[in-house]
Amino acid sequence: MRKFLTLSLFVMMALFMAACGNDESSGGDSSSDGDASGEWEPGQSIEIVAPAGAGGGWDTTARMAAQVFQEEGIISEDIGVVNKPGGGGAVGWAYIANQEGSNHNLFVSSSPILLVPLSGNSEYGHEDFTPIANVIADYGAFAVSKDAPWESLNELFEDMKEDPSSITVVGTSSPGSMDHIQFVRFAKAAGIDITKIKYVSAPDADGITQLLNGSADVFSTGVGEVIEQARAGNIRVLAVTSEERLDGEVLSTFPTAKEQGIDEVFINWRGFFGPPGMDQAAVDYYEAKFKELSDSEAFAEVRANYGWDEMYMGSEEYKQFLDDEKENLKSLLEELNLLGK
Amino acid sequence: MDGVMDGIISGLQVAFSLQGILFVLIGVFIGTFIGMLPGLGPISAIAIMIPITYGMDPALALVLMAGVYYGAVFGGSTSSILLNAPGISGTVATSFDGYPMAQQGKAGKALAIAAISSFAGGTISVVLLMVFAPVLSSVAISFGPPAYFALMLLGLTAIASLSEGSTLKALISAVIGFMVVTIGIDPQTGTARFTFGSANLLDGIDFLVIALGLFALAEVGFLIMNRKEKIMKNAKEIGSLKLTKQDAREMSGPIGRHSILGFIIGILPGAGATIASFISYITEKRISKKPEEFGKGSVKGLSAPEVSNNAATSGAFVPLLSLGIPGSGTTAVMLGALLVLGIQPGPLLMTDHPEVFWGVIVSMYIGNIFLLILNLPLIPYIARVLTIPRPMLISMVIMFSVIGVYSISFNTFDLYLLLAFGVIGFLMRMFAFPAPPFILAFILGGMMEQSFRQSMTISNGSFMIFFENKIALALIMLSLLSFAYPIYQNYRKKRSSANTEG
Repeated sequence: MRKFLTLSLFVMMALFMAACGNDESSGGDSSSDGDASGEWEPGQSIEIVAPAGAGGGWDTTARMAAQVFQEEGIISEDIGVVNKPGGGGAVGWAYIANQEGSNHNLFVSSSPILLVPLSGNSEYGHEDFTPIANVIADYGAFAVSKDAPWESLNELFEDMKEDPSSITVVGTSSPGSMDHIQFVRFAKAAGIDITKIKYVSAPDADGITQLLNGSADVFSTGVGEVIEQARAGNIRVLAVTSEERLDGEVLSTFPTAKEQGIDEVFINWRGFFGPPGMDQAAVDYYEAKFKELSDSEAFAEVRANYGWDEMYMGSEEYKQFLDDEKENLKSLLEELNLLGK
Repeated sequence: MDGVMDGIISGLQVAFSLQGILFVLIGVFIGTFIGMLPGLGPISAIAIMIPITYGMDPALALVLMAGVYYGAVFGGSTSSILLNAPGISGTVATSFDGYPMAQQGKAGKALAIAAISSFAGGTISVVLLMVFAPVLSSVAISFGPPAYFALMLLGLTAIASLSEGSTLKALISAVIGFMVVTIGIDPQTGTARFTFGSANLLDGIDFLVIALGLFALAEVGFLIMNRKEKIMKNAKEIGSLKLTKQDAREMSGPIGRHSILGFIIGILPGAGATIASFISYITEKRISKKPEEFGKGSVKGLSAPEVSNNAATSGAFVPLLSLGIPGSGTTAVMLGALLVLGIQPGPLLMTDHPEVFWGVIVSMYIGNIFLLILNLPLIPYIARVLTIPRPMLISMVIMFSVIGVYSISFNTFDLYLLLAFGVIGFLMRMFAFPAPPFILAFILGGMMEQSFRQSMTISNGSFMIFFENKIALALIMLSLLSFAYPIYQNYRKKRSSANTEG
């Protein structure tokens, strides 16, 4: 009898949770306030999903955009930021895909929306959603310890060509994701056999630790992660992945790969998307609003605070950019045998 | 050294300013409150605070956020002790002896021991932080992958000692823990393992889902089953707060040992309060003359993890403040907040912004004193939670566990997982499989696997890497000793008893 009671409690909890679950998935809306041809304005509060936990890059971008939208009066409807972490974005994307046709749901994303589906870990990719606008960009950097023998990216790549097994590259994320791919791209451009690169993934911000204590030789990461260590003289930045040198006291001392003769760039772009089947009128509306956001003083200040670069692309241009980028990444992953089945 | 003195003085000015004291108070108050609620942790609290701190003096903002952090670790022990529902992941080990003690009608004493141990661990580690902060950055980066692997191995040698009764059952439980931790995307290859195509499992299972399921929900099931039995009588009593001289003497050992051990583990990026509390608990049990008391309400068993998790929290500030490396999720969010305020945490923080660096450290003294003053007098009131009628208390535990888990990911899928682990925990209890080895394997296993494979990649597959690294070698030898000693002890016991019989 007692066991039965305990069991029934667990069953009841299961039912209760199932009920909650259903509520959530039916919570989306598909109402649109204007007809497809004319002007569209949001008729209710807008939700921006950050498909990651609080405090990360996506979350910060979403929250800062929402804040500037409201404080500058660019959008008068309420904007709420919702975190949907999990699967490197896959959980959040699945959630948005369920909001098909909604004009009041947006989400923020960057390269993982191309890379995660390519590696077979997300059902949905950028082609399932409605690209609205790209807003910012930041760049990658390759750093070595101050005691390392390499003074330039070319010297490092020369040694790698000779004996790839002697050099360990460390990054925060797993193979086939950003830190790995950005390094591979430059190595390929320099003519290295990219299948022989020794890459170690060190989650929890452990990459810089491994570089400092000599466990790894090269740290491939975002440029923001290396500024302070470089300023203190603990590490040497061999190259940044941008087209031209970046602005800033320390940043401008980092050479680009391009000026070292390696013709390649890697941009960590970040922008906003809508769910599948968003009305064209709504896309036009948001596109204009994001342009206004990107041009505002307030957002310029936000960019300066975080060390982001301005990189605005409207919906059409953005879509084309994403398609090209995906093709590019696909062939890289194919060569590395990391393409998902 | 002049620079350091000047820095400390500017830190004192920040921490003892009216605003400084006010923000510490607000921080530790919010922290304690959030820590007490099962599941709700400091990460979400601090992330929510970021917009509030916008425009604040960076030193004061960090003082506030740090207060929330160590306040939560301080307060997290309360629900571990009273409800067997860990408040935050760093206080899971606290429930091993805290909960049995409360069940024996000594809830007041248990909470007092936890509060005093937390205070001692917090304060001693802040002294260590202050004295050694400028030189500790080298400790923070001294561990490479082989050393991490060896540290985790050392922790695992204690699996058998973490359980009463069948060693076989303890090992089975640990193996399941190892299996569960491999769920999700494998960082070294990017392949999804055991996710069955579900996007919800790609990030693996959160530790708190497992801890709340295996402990809180399993306990709820057990309470319902035994609701009419007499053994429950005592559990309603709070008992006296007073600690005897005997208790104080028993606490002094763990306080001395684990404020240092916890602090050092806290310094290592990625290790943190959870691993520190477990390693301290295991160590204390290993060196205890009465290991059989552990798990049944031992003063030392309660004190050790509490000292350690608070000491580790101070330690976690070393890589953040001296190198700009966030060693844990919480410090990563703090680093993000500092960026917004225009401060770049890094190796030069101490010279560029001494008031931030030292302000936080000095404020932690004040914070710990506030926490003690705040918590001790409240104990009789908080402990009265236990006098709530059982059916209501049980529903409350379920409700808080569900809210806590939902607040981690805002995903209903995690609630099913919570429920599943509740059932697993309940069944494990029915069939006398101990849950602590499962939890231990889950905590240490993930990091152990990753650091092993990182080492193997770096060394091109040669095992020599574990013997070439001095720290790794020392830790591996210690693990061998720790593994072999109980076997030797057992053997001697058997022989001597055989002798007396013969």
